[in-house]
Amino acid sequence: MLNRRGFLKIGGATAFAALFGGCERLPKTLVPFVVPPENYVLGESLWYASVCRQCPAGCGIVVRNSEGRAKKIEGNPLHPVNRGKLCARGQAGLQALYHPERLGTPLKLDGPRGSGKFREIPWEEALRFLMTGLSSVRAEAPTALLMLTDPMRGHRNLVSARFMKAFGSPHRVAWDPFGQDAHLSANEAVYGVRDLPEHDLAGTRYLLSFSGDFLEAGVSPVHFGHAYGRMRAARPTVRGKFVHFGPRLSMTAASADAFLPVAPGTEGFVALGIAHVMVREKLTPAAAAAGGLWNAGLKEFTPAAAGETTGVSAADIEAVAREFGSNQPGVAMAGDAAASCTNGFFNLSAVGLLNLLAGNVGKPGGISFPNRLAAFASFGAEAKLLLPAAESGYPAVREAVERMGQGAFRMALLSGATNPAFTLPPSFKFEEALLKVPMIVSFASFLDETTSLSDLVLPTPTYLEEWGDDIPPAGHGGEAITLGQPVVTPFRDTRSMPDVLIAAAKELGGPAAAALPWGSFREYLEKAYAGRGIDLVEAHRNGGIFPEKASAQRSTPKAGSPALPKAAEAAFAGDPARYPLLLHVYPSVALSDGRGANLPWLQELPDPIATAVWRNWVEVGPKTAAALALSDGDGVTVSSPFGSLQAFVFVHPAIAEGVAAMPLGQGHSRYGKYAADRGGNPYALLPASVESSTKAPARHATRVSLVKTRMKGALVRTVHPEGQWLYENIL
Amino acid sequence: MKRRWAMVIDMDLCTGCGACVVACVAENNTPTVGESEAGKGRLMQWIRVVRYFRKEEHDETRAIFVATPCMHCEKAPCEIVCPVYATYHDEDDHVNAMVYNRCIGTRYCGNNCPYSVRVFNWWDYKREKPLDEQLNPDLTVRSRGVMEKCSYCIQRIRRGKETALMEGRPIRDGEVLPACAQTCPPGAIRFGDLNDPESAVTRMMKDPRRFRLMEHLGTEPSTVYLKKMRAQGR
Repeated sequence: MLNRRGFLKIGGATAFAALFGGCERLPKTLVPFVVPPENYVLGESLWYASVCRQCPAGCGIVVRNSEGRAKKIEGNPLHPVNRGKLCARGQAGLQALYHPERLGTPLKLDGPRGSGKFREIPWEEALRFLMTGLSSVRAEAPTALLMLTDPMRGHRNLVSARFMKAFGSPHRVAWDPFGQDAHLSANEAVYGVRDLPEHDLAGTRYLLSFSGDFLEAGVSPVHFGHAYGRMRAARPTVRGKFVHFGPRLSMTAASADAFLPVAPGTEGFVALGIAHVMVREKLTPAAAAAGGLWNAGLKEFTPAAAGETTGVSAADIEAVAREFGSNQPGVAMAGDAAASCTNGFFNLSAVGLLNLLAGNVGKPGGISFPNRLAAFASFGAEAKLLLPAAESGYPAVREAVERMGQGAFRMALLSGATNPAFTLPPSFKFEEALLKVPMIVSFASFLDETTSLSDLVLPTPTYLEEWGDDIPPAGHGGEAITLGQPVVTPFRDTRSMPDVLIAAAKELGGPAAAALPWGSFREYLEKAYAGRGIDLVEAHRNGGIFPEKASAQRSTPKAGSPALPKAAEAAFAGDPARYPLLLHVYPSVALSDGRGANLPWLQELPDPIATAVWRNWVEVGPKTAAALALSDGDGVTVSSPFGSLQAFVFVHPAIAEGVAAMPLGQGHSRYGKYAADRGGNPYALLPASVESSTKAPARHATRVSLVKTRMKGALVRTVHPEGQWLYENIL
Repeated sequence: MKRRWAMVIDMDLCTGCGACVVACVAENNTPTVGESEAGKGRLMQWIRVVRYFRKEEHDETRAIFVATPCMHCEKAPCEIVCPVYATYHDEDDHVNAMVYNRCIGTRYCGNNCPYSVRVFNWWDYKREKPLDEQLNPDLTVRSRGVMEKCSYCIQRIRRGKETALMEGRPIRDGEVLPACAQTCPPGAIRFGDLNDPESAVTRMMKDPRRFRLMEHLGTEPSTVYLKKMRAQGR
């Protein structure tokens, strides 16, 4: 019914329309308030549940929408991964949505290839360009199509997989610099299950971490952050103890009760030293029964021997072993620095051995293995494509780059946040190789180092504007399904990659059209979840489908006596005389592997340890700094056999001596004005080394030298190196 | 009904991750200042996570994180020096409040704050379009020459009170949370009403680990801390 007020409004709008006939802005501003969208009340907020894609952890979020704009992202309290909590990167997702440099129209190369110069073109032209390329490749040599993405999960991965299969190309490569290959292989060797485990931190009494920076990086920082809080405080009489071994006092290590610095790449020897004491003193029933290990060579790995290799005192190793043995359930976990050495497999297997000796596998407070395949069996033969893929994809990327260089590919489809041109070691010469592909098409929201090499860039919606689903790698026994929905109306002219692939398949016809027979990705998602007894509207309201009880069986770890991992030492490239320090690199807490560098909020978030903003730095210990005549704040040139860069020195009081550490993430040459030209890129110092048994990237595998250099400016830090206040004064 | 809002920060749980900082920036329309302004000590974040290095036994260095929002002192040194009553004590909520429109930018309050939690708008910090679409409509964007600081997310307190009033019930404990407390992954930041004898913060106030920052100054902060613990042995 039309009341007086409504009539006047319409009358006003009509008068306006008559005055400014043909003005496009009118319907956008006036009509929506005459006929307001559903649920739209001025001043009242709406909350939509969706999934965070700022890192691969896949937390659940709820987004406050006010007057059609996303205002704030919160954690979804119902979501089993993050329980209503969210990290800094997740909070900053809004800046990706409203980023001034976000792509809103398709871009076509307008200059020499690789120049990053583009002109805007309409979608029709862009799709025609894409289809011309696809059709000719399809007709002449379908295997000459390459798809290079970040690891995808859920049905978007399925769409890509089906597209490539139907197209006839086997070259679908996913790259994740922080893949968990060594973890997977070690889990297979130690427990007989090739999967990511669930660490029950909340229920553990003793947490042993070997460079496991689980609170700031790794599989699921918020999940572990929440569990860590529960481990410390949720039980009335137990405060779980946390001991950290690692090359530097990281943010995670700072939370430990004891931080014991070890030489990079020797985490496995510490673990074997602890295992030695556990077996020798029969500290647990499983250790008492592990006499076979002792004779297989464990008796050689005395704490004293371990101390010599690692730098941890024998007394500390003995003490930690006894505490770990007598405070069960305990859990041992390892992180990226232990995994991405040339001996990563050994390090992780040795850490896994501790869990076996503690006898806590499959028990509360220990580690267990979800049976994801069984949980998703109802999705049929393609279920595996929905699940989290933890591999780095390094061997496949290496092969793809070689083939690119040989001119084997005629067309490349790129997507994802892992930005290979930025994150691959310089010796890959990725840029050079990629430009040998005659046609490069990117699906992207931003022009980073990789996408700016394209011939055509198709703008994609951010994760806050698209439909999707996600299966997170940690939390809820691997059975949670997170559903994503647009929390705002897409305000740029974008199309998601699955939507474009579905449309392209339709146009290609034949098997491609048959493999992707839907009108849109959203329609496919609805079909995929229909008929499962799920109320999809309710599921979207909750942010996903979280079964109350684990329906599937857990994977059973293999029985039998544990085997002794074959000891291997980490290899470091470079002549020790010329390059005296070992390089340790770690993902920045704020910027992750570099994907967060274009968001001002994250650039201005002080690093927890160095407290620096907007720039990176190189950390050395006080003795090492003194030996090199360096002091805090000096400029240095960091050189490895593979590259060099300049950075400011931060003298870190708790880092293993003989180590230089750098955060990754900074040092972009492109990726917009907030990211570009802020120091050097530490990835460019890295060798192309691999972990010896899994062929995963070995980042901790080179030596570096530091030479004092004059640099302009200074490292901006919020805590003055001499201390703003003394800690004693604030008490 | 009068309330005494208080915040308890458990340093034993704080991991230093900085989620609170970005949550606060997103909630409170805090500008980004850029590298050169940051170098002059002009970061505008209302909560900061200060890192202290501390030598302990075995000559080991430990890092301790102290998340520092406004202390909302009951005897606030900032309030008594403001010539225009721009910063005053809100008697209904027991928070240290700011009226931005009164502020004339003397910066006396910032000067007198022992915790250095007040930040001053040295410029009109521009938000490049469309980043301004994100701005929270519940509070203002401050202009140049105005002092600002943590408000305990007063807009959320107001909304919580209004909702409770409309539904004719008291505010439940944990219903009103500032952005920092809401997002904190390990749950180190707790917030609640000390006038509610059942609230979590009232209980935590009795914790023997409780201390206040610079307690000797007698500012009676409403933000209190629980001391970091360290397990015995190795």
